[in-house]
Amino acid sequence: MVKEKVVVKNPSGLHLRPAGILCREAIKYRSSIRFQHFNTTANAKSVLSVLGACIKCGNELEFICEGEDEEEALAAMVQIVRDGLGE
Amino acid sequence: MYKGTNASAGIGIGKAVIVEEKELVIQRETITDSAAEIQRFKGALETSMEQTRALAEDLATRVGEKEAEILNGHIMLLSDPMMTGEIESMIQKDQVNSEFAIENVCTMYADMFASMGDELMQQRATDMRDIKTRMQKVLMGVESVDIASLPEGTVILAKDLTPSMTAGINPANVTGIVTELGGRTSHSAILARALEIPAVVALGGILEVVKNGDMLVLDGSDGTVLVNPEDAVLAEYQGKRAAFLKEKKELEKYIGKPSITKDGVTVDLVANIGKPEDVDKVLQYDGEGVGLFRTEFLFMDRNAMPTEEEQFEAYRKVAVAMDGKPVIIRTLDIGGDKEIPYMGLEKDENPFLGYRAVRFCLDRKEDVYRPQLRALLRASAFGNIKIMIPLVTCIDEYRAVKALVEEIKAELDEKGMKYNPDVQLGIMVETAAASLIADIFAKEVDFFSIGTNDLTQYTMSVDRGNDKISYLYSTFNPAVLRSIKRIITCAREAGIMVGMCGEAASDPMMIPLLLAFGLNEFSMSPSAILRARKMITEYSTKELQAVADQAMSFATTTEVENYMREFINS
Repeated sequence: MVKEKVVVKNPSGLHLRPAGILCREAIKYRSSIRFQHFNTTANAKSVLSVLGACIKCGNELEFICEGEDEEEALAAMVQIVRDGLGE
Repeated sequence: MYKGTNASAGIGIGKAVIVEEKELVIQRETITDSAAEIQRFKGALETSMEQTRALAEDLATRVGEKEAEILNGHIMLLSDPMMTGEIESMIQKDQVNSEFAIENVCTMYADMFASMGDELMQQRATDMRDIKTRMQKVLMGVESVDIASLPEGTVILAKDLTPSMTAGINPANVTGIVTELGGRTSHSAILARALEIPAVVALGGILEVVKNGDMLVLDGSDGTVLVNPEDAVLAEYQGKRAAFLKEKKELEKYIGKPSITKDGVTVDLVANIGKPEDVDKVLQYDGEGVGLFRTEFLFMDRNAMPTEEEQFEAYRKVAVAMDGKPVIIRTLDIGGDKEIPYMGLEKDENPFLGYRAVRFCLDRKEDVYRPQLRALLRASAFGNIKIMIPLVTCIDEYRAVKALVEEIKAELDEKGMKYNPDVQLGIMVETAAASLIADIFAKEVDFFSIGTNDLTQYTMSVDRGNDKISYLYSTFNPAVLRSIKRIITCAREAGIMVGMCGEAASDPMMIPLLLAFGLNEFSMSPSAILRARKMITEYSTKELQAVADQAMSFATTTEVENYMREFINS
């Protein structure tokens, strides 16, 4: 299991479009990919789960990946959030 | 006459067609073969996705990619593994039919989004209900209302329009939309504007007074709806409709055209905005920048000061959206007459002459001004932001703000935070004092923007809210005109940019005078920009000199106004 923290910088937080981009990236990997924010944990492969976490601009997420390609998955997730999820 | 919320401009006239989604009755049924039922659900899910994909593609080609986005969002929601997983496990564990499982799971998510209280999440609640109904209709073999084939000259009347309903609207047949629910930012309103169909929304109770086939007239610019109007009224609105369409067509020709006079003088036509979302309108009407972004909205209607981070996001958003075009942001202009409980302001005896705007901000440097200026500087790294100080009366105020800005820049340098080191700092010229020493200001500040509403009020010593003395309130008063001319001349002599961000900048009678005086930048509400551009391209500043000289020779407001009215109508 590997973990890394990253700050969301999308102005309106993780609303539908950036959440969708996040999920599309996550489903490319076989590992389970979750993120934690305070006491909420979301499944990064489910857009509903990501939306439900109600992530706002400036929130810090901790990604937790577990599985055969966990290192690769973690690096990709952190990078895509850092790049602003298409915004 | 009924009054709703104006959602999409224009006049719509036509026969009412009430569009109602049949209420689906979802019953719990016990099933025996859950594997087969899950297959049935999967089939319906696949069909729903195909339908949505087709709708999205059609909308993308017919209207635009941006409008199709919401339906692409539906496809994402439909393919969510968590939702489909929960539906499947409910079918299996509870031995229930797909319709019932869908009802339960989707409603749970819709309620969750609805309870989050943020506008974007409210939209997701609507989306969840929309996809729920779509899947259930496929399962139950219920046809959707066919909006695409309504007869020509239809005004659609509905409780609310879901994204999948609006997607099918054909603007050739639909001349107007009236809904009981929704708001200016709801999906149906946005789509109505994109399709250029006049629309009035949030008109509660209208379905109770209108029958199918009634003659409806709606004015999407002011929210008026008339039911079966008299012939004379109908004729009047037909005339309005023709005039609206004619002007719109004529003004559209000016999108993408330069704002240049016949003798080759280029000016900037920019917009006044109050919220980051207003940028859409600025771009729609081809504004060349933002001449005034009022920051008060960030501070009003709340219980605590917005954080630096929150302000930074709002400013950055506008700077990014304007993509390198100038964005003049005015620092907090508040106090005296406006109630902001958490600011701890006392009521002023004379609010307009009191503790407000830059006076207040410089007194509250640490908790109010520093965070705002820091947010502005940080946002300046993302676009062409300029900072404007309101209600300046003496040079000491400007110097104090400038010193504070330099202090913050040094702080940001120390932390290695990005900002634009050449960010311009200018002033609103809106007091008699600032006008009288405009020559002194012009040597130090980076730009001027003339605020005509306050300048007129302060020059004429007249409260514009008082009806008994409103005859004194005119920008065409010779004293005000002299003040405006002086401010522009001082700026031009010092070689700094001078703009105007009051109502007067878009006044057809004032524009010729401002061009003659040499104003560089005209800032107005976005919808006034194209009309102003048309006017500007029809004038020559050289020819206007004589007009301005004549206008300046009069002794009274009435003479100036009459002369200018005659000039623009000639």
